[in-house]
Amino acid sequence: MRDALQHQLDRLQTLLVEEAALVREALAATMQALTDTDLQLAAKVIDGDDRIDLRFMQVQQGVESLLARQGPVANDLRLVLAMLHVNTHLERMGDYCVTIAKLTQLTSRLEGDEEIVRGFAEMAVQAELMISTAIEAFVTQDIAASESLVQLDDAINQANRRVVHDLLALGTTPDHREWGLRMILVSRCLERIGDHAVDVGEQVAYLVTGEFREFTDASGEPVTLD
Amino acid sequence: MAAGELRPEAAVEVRELAAFFGSRQVLRDISFEMPRHSVTAIIGPSGSGKSTLIRTINRMHEVVPGARHTGSVLVDGADVYGEGVDPVDVRRRVGMVFQRPNPFPTMSIYDNVAAGLRLNGIRGPKAQLDQIVEESLQGAGLWREVKDRLATSAANLSGGQQQRLCIARAIALEPDVLLMDEPASALDPQSTLRIEDLMVQLKEQYTIVIVTHNMQQAARVADFTAFMTTLEEGAPADLVEFDRTDAIFTNPARTETQDYVTGRFG
Repeated sequence: MRDALQHQLDRLQTLLVEEAALVREALAATMQALTDTDLQLAAKVIDGDDRIDLRFMQVQQGVESLLARQGPVANDLRLVLAMLHVNTHLERMGDYCVTIAKLTQLTSRLEGDEEIVRGFAEMAVQAELMISTAIEAFVTQDIAASESLVQLDDAINQANRRVVHDLLALGTTPDHREWGLRMILVSRCLERIGDHAVDVGEQVAYLVTGEFREFTDASGEPVTLD
Repeated sequence: MAAGELRPEAAVEVRELAAFFGSRQVLRDISFEMPRHSVTAIIGPSGSGKSTLIRTINRMHEVVPGARHTGSVLVDGADVYGEGVDPVDVRRRVGMVFQRPNPFPTMSIYDNVAAGLRLNGIRGPKAQLDQIVEESLQGAGLWREVKDRLATSAANLSGGQQQRLCIARAIALEPDVLLMDEPASALDPQSTLRIEDLMVQLKEQYTIVIVTHNMQQAARVADFTAFMTTLEEGAPADLVEFDRTDAIFTNPARTETQDYVTGRFG
């Protein structure tokens, strides 16, 4: 029953999975470019964002058509609404990868700190894991997996706080200050990617339970259901 | 949702209702409340006893030979099957509109509206009758279209107009409750939307209970929705879920409801 609706839902889900895979690739590449100061690779990440944006547009248009023509209700409706949010979160993650690539270009002539960059690489590995966990939890509608994103995000948040401290200790030459300022943005981008992954997890919980809730409050403390 | 969270004022209350045609039971253990000044939609597949349910509310079920019921139906707190209650009086207080518009074809538009009053023995000066006819036609959103041809035959009206005429005939009696059995299923989309708009207006004064196969219609107009179906092959129909309409169409509690509203049953 409702083959057309099911077909369209499946197609949208496939597009989101592809979009998430592209975001993961972009994240890995942009970190590689930063670590190796590889400007060609950084440029490739920037160009490659079009592929993410294309999926974003396809999902957006697909949802628009589906709402207009299929009139989804109940769990179908929640799935479509959640897809809209997940789509936006993935697209934003892609944008953060682009920002990191641009920061790599801007800092290529400056001397940086290998230790700090290694810290970013570790944050990025964690963020990649979060992207995979989030999209898998979405596809399998696994609330427990989606809730595990909060713990994964904690590690990124802690690393982000350490980076500021390390950058301040780096030195006060103009080059150090510029590199440090730009690297604070890199850290911020990675931290935001983690936040968006948690937001995808919240959509999983909404999809399954029908109730939207934030996993953490503004202070970062877990929100418990009363 | 617990019953206590619903609007407390129930216009119609059905308690442990079961209905039968001869030895065949078609409804079992139906209990719920239809809140005052709201639209309650009853949805469910064909043969799930939706029409039978609303026909027990105005005692039209018992008109079918061999038909009977157990349990009780309260309108404004009073049992419509109580001792000494006249079924004709119940049907005056609980009006009904049917799937096919059924105006009296040989009568004028005016007489169609007045017919309900006359049949119920309500007589009064012509001026008073004129006023009731006008108010009823206005209430049914038909006055402007017919005010200059009240004496012409009702048979000349379009299907949508005829259905609104039947609504005018029903509300002329100032019922407490208006039952509508698939009131728009024989109408074109535009006439359907007019009837839907009308339901939303009429609930200010009446309590409306509608049976519909059109789930989007229930989603559009109903404040509350009851889903009925037969849970086992050959068994009588059950009330599976009753809740606010937005809950039924966004997050139904029962899998059977979800399968039905998403079109995935069977």
